[in-house]
Amino acid sequence: MSAEATIRVEDVSLEYRVPRHHASSLKETVVRIARRGVHYEVIRAVRGVSFEVQAGEVLGIVGGNGAGKSTLMKVMARVLPPTSGRVRVRGRVSPMIELGAGFNPEQTARENIVLYGALLGRDVNAMRSRCDAIMEWAGLTDYLDMPVRAFSSGMLARLAFSVSVDVKPDVLLVDEVLAVGDSAFQQKSVERMQQLIHGGTAVVLVSHQTDYIVDNAHRAIWLDRGSVQEVGEPSAVVEAYLEAAGVAAPAPV
Amino acid sequence: MSTLGRGVLGLEPDLYDSAVPPRPLVGAVAELYRYRALVRVLVQRDLTVRYKRSFLGVTWTVLNPLLTAGVMWLVFSHLFRSRIPGNVPFLVYVLAGLLAVTYFQQGVANTAASLASSASMLTKVYVPPVVFAFSAACSGAVNFLYGLVPLLLFQLALGVGVAWTVVAVPLPLLFLLLTIAGTGFLLATFVIRFDDVLNLVGVLLMLIGFLTPTFYPVTIIPGAFRHLFFLNPLYSYVGVFRYLEYGGPPPSWICIPIIVGSGLAFFALGLVVFVRRWPSVAAYL
Repeated sequence: MSAEATIRVEDVSLEYRVPRHHASSLKETVVRIARRGVHYEVIRAVRGVSFEVQAGEVLGIVGGNGAGKSTLMKVMARVLPPTSGRVRVRGRVSPMIELGAGFNPEQTARENIVLYGALLGRDVNAMRSRCDAIMEWAGLTDYLDMPVRAFSSGMLARLAFSVSVDVKPDVLLVDEVLAVGDSAFQQKSVERMQQLIHGGTAVVLVSHQTDYIVDNAHRAIWLDRGSVQEVGEPSAVVEAYLEAAGVAAPAPV
Repeated sequence: MSTLGRGVLGLEPDLYDSAVPPRPLVGAVAELYRYRALVRVLVQRDLTVRYKRSFLGVTWTVLNPLLTAGVMWLVFSHLFRSRIPGNVPFLVYVLAGLLAVTYFQQGVANTAASLASSASMLTKVYVPPVVFAFSAACSGAVNFLYGLVPLLLFQLALGVGVAWTVVAVPLPLLFLLLTIAGTGFLLATFVIRFDDVLNLVGVLLMLIGFLTPTFYPVTIIPGAFRHLFFLNPLYSYVGVFRYLEYGGPPPSWICIPIIVGSGLAFFALGLVVFVRRWPSVAAYL
């Protein structure tokens, strides 16, 4: 194990405790405790997962719905604390999970860029002066002072993507947000990602577009019901996953 | 700053290790300081969103306590007018009291609910959750300052004048902010875990409001029981604000340790409870 790894996930498990009777109100819980009857269902979303991602490496994660991919991303994003195991992440993290979810529709693009930057821990004054450049990169220059309520979902995603990659992060967590904008913008975003990777950013990709993982990841993990089924060469891992999922593997070109 | 200093103060931004337990007090205060720019942005957002959306804009903050004070004046002025301490118009007495009590009630409720309402951000990007709660309490303090304007105008219009001591209002306001933030932190994790806590909190806040002399003079309580009011920190705040704003009767010296003590104690207690409980409720967002 390298001490220099950017992301180190060691034997991480994450459990949700869900009350069996769905006692989400205090009143119900008190009534149930009085009757000695609060039973929790433990949902183990991630089970004993370990891996490392080095600087400049791209790790792809594949798996069916509910396999624990997004939960694992949230554990790496520090949003969910692991139930057991250890996560270490070195450097600035830029999570691209549900792009634009943090935007406030009533505020202008400019105000949202500053808010988003502040959320990512960036310097607010620096963000203010980057607004024009970010909007230009997103191809949205004319909309800087328009409330984002008026933006289409494609415009929102472009804006969020542009803010996320404006400053080189040390870790980029990309959850199913590759199909951003039109094909010209997609091309641009792929180029920007390559640029970041060459600059040493560690990237974790979650996608159902297995072709993209095969083309771009250096290594892949197949997750099934929270556990790692296979690790290794992306094409082999994707093939094993697709075979198990009952989908014919794409014919080699 | 030295590497050691950064580590001790929790200012090391570039390494996340889930095995390192969060330091409730020093760590959380350091994170609030580190994210102060975000606090400012969130407060600005709170204020602009609130005012952009409504027809009368900023005037609502001003109008709301005025209308409430008007109602109380209609209902209670005959009952209590002659017994208001300091011989000020009933409206001024009520408005000054309401300003602090409304901030407390809305501030605690907003702070306690802030995490649930910021869930869309909190579940995607790592930001110390306490930052959101603290910003909610800060927005309320800004509203308090807005609300001060009509109060002072009424004081001038009704011939009470404005005491020069009004410049000192931000000092007790700071401790009120700490009390409100701390109480909100204390409740926030329970609000996330149980849907109905906020309803219960609302009832308790209403009770505290009635236990604070806003529309009645404290003299309606028999002398032997009057010192029990000091158990309610809001009583001390209200007395000090009235003194500073229009030269109301000087409050007892005991109000100062109550204000400073409640501010620091609630803030520290709230932070510790919040940071300790957060990991067990994060998944409920």
